[in-house]
Amino acid sequence: MTLTREQGILRAFAQLADTLVADYDVVDLLQNLVDLSSRFLGATASGVMLADEHGELDVIASTSEASRLVEVMQLSAYAGPCIESFETGAVVSVADIEQVPDRWQAFRDRALEQGFAAIDAIPLRLRAQTIGTLNLFRAATGDLPEDDLVAAQAFADVATIGILHQRSLAESDAIRQQLQFALNSRIIIEQAKGVVAQTRAVPIDQAFTLIRDYARRNQKGISQVASDIVERRLRL
Amino acid sequence: MNKRTTDAPPGDAPQAEYWRPFMEALPVEGTAVSTIGDLLGTETVSASDTVAARLDELQFDLGEGPCWDALRLRRPVLEPDLRRRPQQQWTSFTPAAIEAGVGALFAFPMLVGPLRIGAVDMYTREPVALDEAHTQAATKLAEAAGRTLLKRALDTMGREEPAEDANPFSRRVMHQATGMVLAQLDVSADDARMVIQAHAYATDRSMMEVSRDVLDGRLDFSALDGGDGRSR
Repeated sequence: MTLTREQGILRAFAQLADTLVADYDVVDLLQNLVDLSSRFLGATASGVMLADEHGELDVIASTSEASRLVEVMQLSAYAGPCIESFETGAVVSVADIEQVPDRWQAFRDRALEQGFAAIDAIPLRLRAQTIGTLNLFRAATGDLPEDDLVAAQAFADVATIGILHQRSLAESDAIRQQLQFALNSRIIIEQAKGVVAQTRAVPIDQAFTLIRDYARRNQKGISQVASDIVERRLRL
Repeated sequence: MNKRTTDAPPGDAPQAEYWRPFMEALPVEGTAVSTIGDLLGTETVSASDTVAARLDELQFDLGEGPCWDALRLRRPVLEPDLRRRPQQQWTSFTPAAIEAGVGALFAFPMLVGPLRIGAVDMYTREPVALDEAHTQAATKLAEAAGRTLLKRALDTMGREEPAEDANPFSRRVMHQATGMVLAQLDVSADDARMVIQAHAYATDRSMMEVSRDVLDGRLDFSALDGGDGRSR
């Protein structure tokens, strides 16, 4: 069965949305994004570059080794349409790669060598925050049809929301771990006081002094000493 | 900053700001706000009266009850008529709550995104039903309280000695007693805690009461020899 272009794009959206259910992996999501972009948006190859929490860009997904090489090259030169799109948060379209300015020479040479004639870099952007770009490579020169560009931006938006959502989940996981660690060490310190109070037959306050002094003398953290005491690896 | 003082900061004393909004918004007679679980620890932060505090302590000791369910299910647990038409089956908690004089009981979870912070328990002596507006108000208030508690925990994170010494509901004595019992019996901390829990259950007292006896030397498990756990 042959799908019309609209049906194809709708199906692509449904697939992207599917990736976002429950325990999704960002890499799966992005691979899906580039595969669908190539299939339905007339791209010969496509790729996604994503910035980490420190703003460092990296190539996360591509449909071909050729497009990956061109993207990686832009990263090392830190120049080219993908970089510009990331920096400005705007779509950067190049209808004929032979005509790019000289500052993008390294990009131009590598892109032509890999058989690409045109490129569109679409920002992965939510409001003021740009987290990466979706890059569509084409083998023939010319502008990407307006409709395809709109669809590409919509794909990119869905992916952006998915990535940011996943990151906020990871952050709350980090908070959870830190809090649990803090709580555990508080509890273990109390337990260690009890152990020392029992074994040395001293009041609780004095037990804490013994633990603290031992930690200082041996240049260890109180939490660590307390844990050793509760696990009975250490006897004060 | 964060220089420790032996005196509690004045704002920390009764912590009424946690339960007061619930008492003003809902037709309840008592409210207790507690952190629950391994995120912030299981401990009452603030209670409007001794019955409210007792209800939470019972649930902590027994490991069952509306606050546990509310947090696990991420939704309110409502018992408008505990004596005549109980909705849930808490085998140990329900009779104990009725004995404490409770007629209706409502628990709202404190959640911040995916994080489970704790729960707010409210009670009345006579049966009473909450309407939709009450439930919504309590849900919102519980959310706000959860955020405040999480922020407070994040602010104090990393201090070896927490400022919670001022909390009259602190369960740190129980952790200290756990340490003493694990040394007395040469068992793990988890087992020692269970020994305290079992003894409390068998002697019909709270884990905190048993813990204080351990700490004061009135109860020493190494002196008990496989008996029924009664020291006196």
